[in-house]
Amino acid sequence: MNSAQISIQIIVTLVAIACAIPGTFLVLRKMSLISDAISHSILLGIVIGFFIVEDTSSPLLIFLAALTGIVTVILVEFIQKTGLVKEDTAIGLVFPALFSIGVILISKNANDVHLDIDSVMVGDLSLAPFDPLLINCQEGIADSCINLGPKAIWVIGIILLVTLTLLIAFFKELKVSTFDAGLAAALGFSPVIMHYGLMTVSSVTIVGAFDAVGPILVVALMIAPAATAYLFTKDLKRMLLLSCFFGVVASIAGFWLAHILDASISGSMTTVLAILFLLVYEPIITSIIVSSIVGIGMVLYQYYDAAILGGVSFEGYQLGEKLTYIFSKFVFLDYVYILGIAVVMAAFLIYILPKRGLIYGYYKVRQQKTEIMLLVFLLHIRNHAEESERHVKHLNEHINWQRLRSQSIVDLAKKNNMVTVSADNIISLTEKGADFTEKAIDYIITNKDTEIEEMKDDFFLFRG
Amino acid sequence: MLGTAILGAICGMLGSFAVLRKQSLLGDAISHAALPGIAIAFLITGVKDSNLFLLGALISGLVGTFWIRSITKKTHLKSDTALGLTLSLFFGFGMLLLTFIQKQPNASQAGLDTYLFGQAATLLEKDVWLIAIVAGIALLILLIFWKEFKILLFDEDYTKTLGFNTRFIDILITTFIVITIVLGLQTVGVILMSAILLAPAAAARQWTNSLEKMVILAAIFGSFSGVVGTGISSVSGNLSTGPVIVLVAAGIVLLSFIFSPKRGLLFREIRFRKNRNDIKMQKTLAFMYGIAKTHENISHPHAIKILNGFQGFSKRSLQKLVDLNYVEIDGQQWSMTQKGFMTAANLYNQQVENSHE
Amino acid sequence: MEEKYAITVDDLTVAYNYKPVLWDIDLAIPEGVLMCIVGPNGAGKSTLIKAILGIIKPIAGTVSVFGKSYAKQRSLVAYVPQKGSVDWDFPTTALDVVMMGTYGSLGWIKRPGQKEKKAALEALEKVGMLPFKNRQISQLSGGQQQRIFLARALVQNATIYFMDEPFQGVDATTEKAIINILKELRKAGKTVVVVHHDLQTVPEYFDWVTFLNVKKIATGPVKDIFNDDNLTKTYGINYKVSVQE
Repeated sequence: MNSAQISIQIIVTLVAIACAIPGTFLVLRKMSLISDAISHSILLGIVIGFFIVEDTSSPLLIFLAALTGIVTVILVEFIQKTGLVKEDTAIGLVFPALFSIGVILISKNANDVHLDIDSVMVGDLSLAPFDPLLINCQEGIADSCINLGPKAIWVIGIILLVTLTLLIAFFKELKVSTFDAGLAAALGFSPVIMHYGLMTVSSVTIVGAFDAVGPILVVALMIAPAATAYLFTKDLKRMLLLSCFFGVVASIAGFWLAHILDASISGSMTTVLAILFLLVYEPIITSIIVSSIVGIGMVLYQYYDAAILGGVSFEGYQLGEKLTYIFSKFVFLDYVYILGIAVVMAAFLIYILPKRGLIYGYYKVRQQKTEIMLLVFLLHIRNHAEESERHVKHLNEHINWQRLRSQSIVDLAKKNNMVTVSADNIISLTEKGADFTEKAIDYIITNKDTEIEEMKDDFFLFRG
Repeated sequence: MLGTAILGAICGMLGSFAVLRKQSLLGDAISHAALPGIAIAFLITGVKDSNLFLLGALISGLVGTFWIRSITKKTHLKSDTALGLTLSLFFGFGMLLLTFIQKQPNASQAGLDTYLFGQAATLLEKDVWLIAIVAGIALLILLIFWKEFKILLFDEDYTKTLGFNTRFIDILITTFIVITIVLGLQTVGVILMSAILLAPAAAARQWTNSLEKMVILAAIFGSFSGVVGTGISSVSGNLSTGPVIVLVAAGIVLLSFIFSPKRGLLFREIRFRKNRNDIKMQKTLAFMYGIAKTHENISHPHAIKILNGFQGFSKRSLQKLVDLNYVEIDGQQWSMTQKGFMTAANLYNQQVENSHE
Repeated sequence: MEEKYAITVDDLTVAYNYKPVLWDIDLAIPEGVLMCIVGPNGAGKSTLIKAILGIIKPIAGTVSVFGKSYAKQRSLVAYVPQKGSVDWDFPTTALDVVMMGTYGSLGWIKRPGQKEKKAALEALEKVGMLPFKNRQISQLSGGQQQRIFLARALVQNATIYFMDEPFQGVDATTEKAIINILKELRKAGKTVVVVHHDLQTVPEYFDWVTFLNVKKIATGPVKDIFNDDNLTKTYGINYKVSVQE
């Protein structure tokens, strides 16, 4: 690692943390898309600021850009308040308009302005380390400046510091106003001030990160870590910590992915964020796919290095041709190796990740369905004293389940000692069954919002 | 020019549905989600063929839509987060692929760049044909299923009880929205696609209260901004088409917001003022009624001076009362007419009733 | 024997996200009654109606309409959703909304014609909204909007009507107008099921009542079962309503 690489990693890590904090609140306040709007419309602020000061890193530029962000929020809210269109439409109208003005201003003045739309859109980190903050310079004397390291680190570092200070100072207020605006107002914290405070911080952060990663990937850095963390926990503090953690993991892993693929850093960071989200959202399938790709990639890379060292030139090769060439060199042991890596890694990932997603979901849904059906069944038996309603056959006809399913439900109930079936196929509740049903109903009627999992554990020996 | 005109029209049409379904930003998400599809299509085939790109974009756009749906359905993440996730993550992945492609030896990736901001000039005759055909099919479907679209947009649960397959209608609408977005990418670009979908519809909504007229107007606004935008951008050389079209459309929206006779802000303000004046006048009248009531002859003249201390009174409101024949003025004296007295009495009774409710 | 019931619900259980909201509901609604469903917030009143109408899929149980499955008898049933369930800023007129009631009998693709328009105008007349037929729906008051919804159901010319909180947020005049129409419907032999909130008016408006709180508490004629005992069972607290005979 050379010093430029280290500085880039420091920058992306700082950007990730600075974005994750306001991002968490945006996700919780259902305002994720405001970040999209701000990140686009600040282009206008940056362009105007650039015309005034002609320097991309001047504080005035950052100030103007952040101001445009806040103006965007105000405009969106104004349009919304007129009641002419809905909120999402208001967002969708405001930012493209401001963004378009920005783009047109750039292209009208493209000749004498050193602003390139492409790099503005994607962001460019590779040059950031070579733009140092110099102070104490003396006119005419070379090397008289004190080099304080890359400017970007200073800019984003200060933004992060301010964000952190505000977060710690107003944590309680932010928490209350996020979860219950009414209560916050009653307690005397103005939700309006909180709202605009958050918007200001978001705007400033977006402006600071804009240079590094471009408008759309700022949105990814704000929303994706927070959304991933939200799937893990609903506790605000843990969510904040987790989203910072995911942001940092994604930025460092993304940096190295970009290094390997020789592609854009911001694109790679987002891709890692996407993988992280998918891992949490759909753990089993993603784990298997990611592990396999990592396994294959590791082996491929070794061959690629060996081939280059061995004097093979890939100049002029298509990607497909390169891959075919390398795959043709594979021996049986390589496949075993890949499989080994993939299996170990996938097993580990599946073990540590939360239990959710399609496959778990299928299993869980089946289990819960069986349990609910069992409850329905028990309740039905309890509700009906008459024998005709309690005949095994009746279940098929009346509850509208297939025979197989009713049979398995009856079996489950029997296994848990909740019912007895007499010789002529009449079902009756045991004492335990009656007790359980009673409690379950009580529980459901009184606690509508909580799950009945814990209570069920006391009763079930066997699960469906 | 013809291409953007047709494109604008179909965007306006389908955009109306997106706006009314509160899916305004779906367009934004889908257009971003289309990028990796384009990149993958290029990566697999290595050919720069716009039809192939469209297919790739369509597939990844549909995957994005599906993703948004399943995230909102299966987790507690809200739709705004799902949209934001989809648009940024897909786009980031697309960016990774694009920068990766640029390093490839055959990467004359100029064609890919236009997808960011759009360039109507790159539209070939066959692209225009494709747009025209899709627009034709969309129009046909729209006419055939008009009734079903309308009722689904208004009241989904009710539609179900009438025995319609709501999922089918839903998929039909969404698919056409995705197709339109994908077609528009080449002209308007990824970032501004959502605006060209929304703006004509949002503007049209201000001028009419009928869905039929709204869709037609949106189509007209859409094609107008398409034509004017393309025109300006081709005249002035180095301007991308997308931003110009969006600004024209945004201009239409702004005008509609302000000047539309039914909902516009200007007329709302005028109505508000008028209302306030009416209330002032009524107050004056009520005050006069209070004075006149104490006299046996209701038309007994009083000095205008006694009105001066009263808050609602102004020369204009008095003049208005005279115009309406409620009051007569004779020099410095005013007197109530029979008509004015009756009106005031009615007003008074209404107020009493209201305060009891 | 089941034939004399308009709606028969057997062992209906509904769960949202695998959390039961309705438990093993058995309910038989006789033909020609004006019935209300009462229960506390979150008791599953709307859910019951939606499950009967097939808007929500139950996990167990059957619903039959005059002894046959609901899917075959759809045309006999009309539904009035909660007023808050739709976006009233939708660009359409009162007449248009009422016309939607005819869409079901028209089926796919066919357009409404003169006949449908006439039916819609008649329904508007019945609810006293004819003067407002071309009014944009957002410019109607809450009570007027509710009447439009009622008219839309009337156009369907059904035998059984389901209404979800038709008296919520309406003025006193509208409430009276609606209840008069409901009583007329009953006189014509139709069956009406209403989700209702205001316990005070139950004896005055309805002749049949169902108490619901996740499970069915009681169902029967108002004069027999509308008493403090059942109310307490349903609402949990000691509930007292003086029942006027």
